[in-house]
Amino acid sequence: MSLSNLTRPWAAFSYGFLDPSAKREIRRKMIKAIAVPGCQIPYASREVPIARGWGTGGLQVTLTLIKPASVVKVIDQGADDSVNAASIRRFLSRVSGAGETWDTLAATIVQSRHRIPEERLRDDQVLVLQVPNPEPLRPVQPNMSIARQMHADADYGRLWLVLYEQMVRSGRIMQGAAYPALVNGRHVMTPSPIPRWDVPKLNMARHLTFLSAGREKRLYAVPPFTRVEPLVFSDVPYKVEDHTRLTCHRSGLTGVFMNEIPQAAGGSVFEASDSHLGIKAIRRAEGDAAEIGPLWYQNGEFRG
Amino acid sequence: MADPVPTQDDLRDNAAFEALMWAMARPGSLHDLPGGIADLVLALVDRECRVLVDDPSLAQVVAATGAALVAAEGADHAFLTRAEGALAVLAALPAGSPLYPDQGATLVLPATLGQGQRLRLTGPGIEGATEVHISGLPDGFIDLRAARCRYPEGVDMVFVDVSRIMALPRSTTVEGI
Repeated sequence: MSLSNLTRPWAAFSYGFLDPSAKREIRRKMIKAIAVPGCQIPYASREVPIARGWGTGGLQVTLTLIKPASVVKVIDQGADDSVNAASIRRFLSRVSGAGETWDTLAATIVQSRHRIPEERLRDDQVLVLQVPNPEPLRPVQPNMSIARQMHADADYGRLWLVLYEQMVRSGRIMQGAAYPALVNGRHVMTPSPIPRWDVPKLNMARHLTFLSAGREKRLYAVPPFTRVEPLVFSDVPYKVEDHTRLTCHRSGLTGVFMNEIPQAAGGSVFEASDSHLGIKAIRRAEGDAAEIGPLWYQNGEFRG
Repeated sequence: MADPVPTQDDLRDNAAFEALMWAMARPGSLHDLPGGIADLVLALVDRECRVLVDDPSLAQVVAATGAALVAAEGADHAFLTRAEGALAVLAALPAGSPLYPDQGATLVLPATLGQGQRLRLTGPGIEGATEVHISGLPDGFIDLRAARCRYPEGVDMVFVDVSRIMALPRSTTVEGI
């Protein structure tokens, strides 16, 4: 063993931005994350050229997976064209030579903040969710050592208590995003701040999901065909947002998750949150042959 | 900025990891791994790892990564080229703890896939149930695996058949039929 064995010729930069050693560490943690679905696995979380809390966790997982043949779609709250989504997508393609797309059907890797596309993901696709707070127990137990012990004991009673208190105070469950869900019958995870609408898309899905929190330095995974059950009371069924009767004012889409846009004159209009699905619907209405894949929801009802 | 071009090492590690990732995500499925066991070493192992190897030439590959060569009790990865010693290794490898399930080791060992003993697999990554055929494992290996894999504790396994792999993460339930 000599120093020259352990070093490489100088290069201006590593392919995919992260150095090979960082990628190996994330790979090892991703393998453990798959082996114990929903269990938060600590990792080193390297510096990347965006600020912590803006998608660094998702970015590191994507940079580890990416290769020149990859096609990446980046979503920010449903949209492909927001500054955050566009910047991350351009960064990914610049450091890897991978293709960029807005189309869910064309993507091999979908990195997303707070939404899962409305079109069903396939067996060969990887969904990477950016996670601000990976610890579902944090609202009930700020001490992370004790929270770890609670995960070890599967001691999740206080999460039901939170939901019960919401029922008592408000008459319904108020948890809108990051709804806690039991994965593989063992670990409760926070599915990142996706709306309730999106949580059933993780249950027994065909695709592989990674959830990664860069600031908190933890990642976890939901493999395909894994049970993801939102915590519910047996007499209070899980309810997704009721967007059945809403129509997108730009594309005419119905039965998908909508953004509410308040109007100056009072009232509000609605717009499909999955922006590229809306664009494809508009193109089709104009006679273009934009292909829309099968959707998870039909008329506001989840299609298992 | 010049067009980013991956080196041969980048491509090899990326492809090996992709095969391993999908093998883990879909237990029982077969995936191509052209370079065999050495590719997995290079894609995963680093200075931070403690590795058990049973083969001198593979030990050189591991040593070149800077990883420590240790006995089974202290290893986070075990790469075996012969199945004979696999029982003792599996019995000794760390399986993590309820507090730290991620400290369960990864065991990579040779097997013949597609023939031999029939196993029925259920669990995450499997739609319903799937059947695989495997041979070349020591007697009692599958029973010992069940004893060591007290979910979420356990040892994750990768079976290498020359240039194909199949994985059994600890979350998979295995029944012999």
